[in-house]
Amino acid sequence: MPTMKRPYQITASILFALSALITYESLQLKYYTSLGPGPGFFPFWISLCLAILSLVMFYQATFKKSDPRPEDFIESHLGYLRALGICVAWIWATAMLERLGYRLTMLVFFPFLLLALGRVKWYMIVLLTLLGSIVTFYVFSIQLSVPLPVGPFDGIFEPIDNLLY
Amino acid sequence: MEAFQSLMDGFAICFQWQYLMFTILGCLVGTIIGVLPGVGPAAGTAMLLPLTFGMSPTASIIMLSAIYYGAMYGGTITSVLLNVPGEAASAITCLDGHAMAKKGRAGSALAIAGIGSFIGGTVATFGLVLLALPLTRFALKFGPPEFFSLMLVGLSLAVALASKSMVRALIAAVMGLLLAMIGIDPVMGAPRFTFGEKSLLDGIGIVPIAMGLFGIGELLLTAEGSKSSVINTRLREMWPSWQEFKTSFWPIIRGTGIGFFMGLIPGVGVLVPTFISYAVEKKISKTPEKFGTGMIEGVAAPETANNAYCNAAMIPLFTLGIPSSAVIAIIMGAFMMNGLIPGPFLFKEHPDFVWAVIASFYVGNLILLIMNLPMIPLWVSFLRIPIPILYTLILGFCVIGSYSAEHSVFEVGLTLVFGLLGYAFKKLDIPLAPIILTVILGPLMERALRQSLEMSRGDFSIFFTRPISAVLLGLSLVFVITSLMKMTPQVKEDQEV
Repeated sequence: MPTMKRPYQITASILFALSALITYESLQLKYYTSLGPGPGFFPFWISLCLAILSLVMFYQATFKKSDPRPEDFIESHLGYLRALGICVAWIWATAMLERLGYRLTMLVFFPFLLLALGRVKWYMIVLLTLLGSIVTFYVFSIQLSVPLPVGPFDGIFEPIDNLLY
Repeated sequence: MEAFQSLMDGFAICFQWQYLMFTILGCLVGTIIGVLPGVGPAAGTAMLLPLTFGMSPTASIIMLSAIYYGAMYGGTITSVLLNVPGEAASAITCLDGHAMAKKGRAGSALAIAGIGSFIGGTVATFGLVLLALPLTRFALKFGPPEFFSLMLVGLSLAVALASKSMVRALIAAVMGLLLAMIGIDPVMGAPRFTFGEKSLLDGIGIVPIAMGLFGIGELLLTAEGSKSSVINTRLREMWPSWQEFKTSFWPIIRGTGIGFFMGLIPGVGVLVPTFISYAVEKKISKTPEKFGTGMIEGVAAPETANNAYCNAAMIPLFTLGIPSSAVIAIIMGAFMMNGLIPGPFLFKEHPDFVWAVIASFYVGNLILLIMNLPMIPLWVSFLRIPIPILYTLILGFCVIGSYSAEHSVFEVGLTLVFGLLGYAFKKLDIPLAPIILTVILGPLMERALRQSLEMSRGDFSIFFTRPISAVLLGLSLVFVITSLMKMTPQVKEDQEV
């Protein structure tokens, strides 16, 4: 039966490397000053704790009986593709939100995600895209006073802007 | 008397139409959050934080609190009707609640859950009113060493109770502390762990961490996995029989007591009181073998304990500034975003705000009771929304939320990073609650530790020589040792098997 031994060994190694980096960085900061503990005091001890805990995790994974691997630990290719679709859509939004503005970014984000996550009828895609990009923009910007980014091509929405403002 | 007078003033504020509207809206949205699969109260509260950015602090906290207890009730609906807990606290309700639904008694189960939740929530809020001022006066005697030790108690409880493995829970807590250290040092103002990135100078906000860990991480997992099927049940006979009312009376009283006292202890988590109250009912029942086949006590007790816990968990937050759970930590983050620091000074400096929020708990519980029963068919209809549409809408909302927290795409990117971290931690069974607790408590802990050491000129004995601090440190040691002792026989048993 597959166990969690290898995943925990890998996790412990990553955490140990992270703790080494933080210990190094915290040693660059002042550990103690004339006023008392400096900015490096707390991070140094916390990173040391992380190092010890990661070693304990590695020891437990290697020398103790490991937990059995849950059935859903590894999913189907289709499942991974759906999760990847979410990541790609999110990266698109991060990259384009300030370059294209909220509305244009979401005009791509919504149909892409709807298609990536499953089968949706075309008119629902159109409706939800308009709802998620244009309607949401006005609700947040006007009704909730939460400004969303505007891009250089937002002039194309001028007729709608004139109607609503 | 002073507390009741202040509560009446609080009612006068929270009955103003705009606050009443925010309470109703919070209850509605919270219930939907609770009903939707894959969106728990923590994720929901984090996702909806941006809705409150344009509001006053009072309106913001009233709405977030309403979302919180609305979500707790929403989880019950799916537990009873579909055998799918909308959130973890309702998992135990599935056993008897769904069995009742199969017998055509779903309406009774939901009505008793609603009534029990109302009683539990109202009594716990009454406890908050009674305990708030004495506890606050006591907490005013605290100096930095006492606050550090108190936060250590909260942390040790959160770690001790959060996971099957204390090492994994400790790793989560330490990760949260490390995240909290990014940005300007709270005492001397030196930048730390920013790696030259200006956006990190102010530290990482609560929104990308909470939304990423609890929201995006959960959505990635659910999108990746297989979906649960929807079971159709009819909502016949909405009202419980007189016999069911009578049978539920004592379980509701006991559930209230268990939930209330567990809520006072930081870090217990909502699962513990629900499971304990269920176990107590089964233990004292004359027919324990019938539990799991549709016993009303199996619904009444845990649901009451659940809501009593949620309201009582506000007591450590309001009086001591200690969040008891992930959701409370997010609400504490919202306090801080509004420039309010929960704790003893809050009652002194912002009494109108505090009492209006406390009064809104009563109003919210009443609204949930009145609103939820007739609207159950509507809540169930939300479950019929196809997953691609539901998740796309939620993710779109998350993009807005993560951007509008700081008006920066850097925060949007960070949300995905924390989403992936949350996804990995869930796969590895590393609990997420200690991370969010320590992210919130980390800067406060560090400041208290450093101020204490400045007071004592670097002498650590300051934590042991001051009586309150020494008692609190002793308590946290007891919690850690007892939980370690509990784990040892379990490990031995596992190895024998």
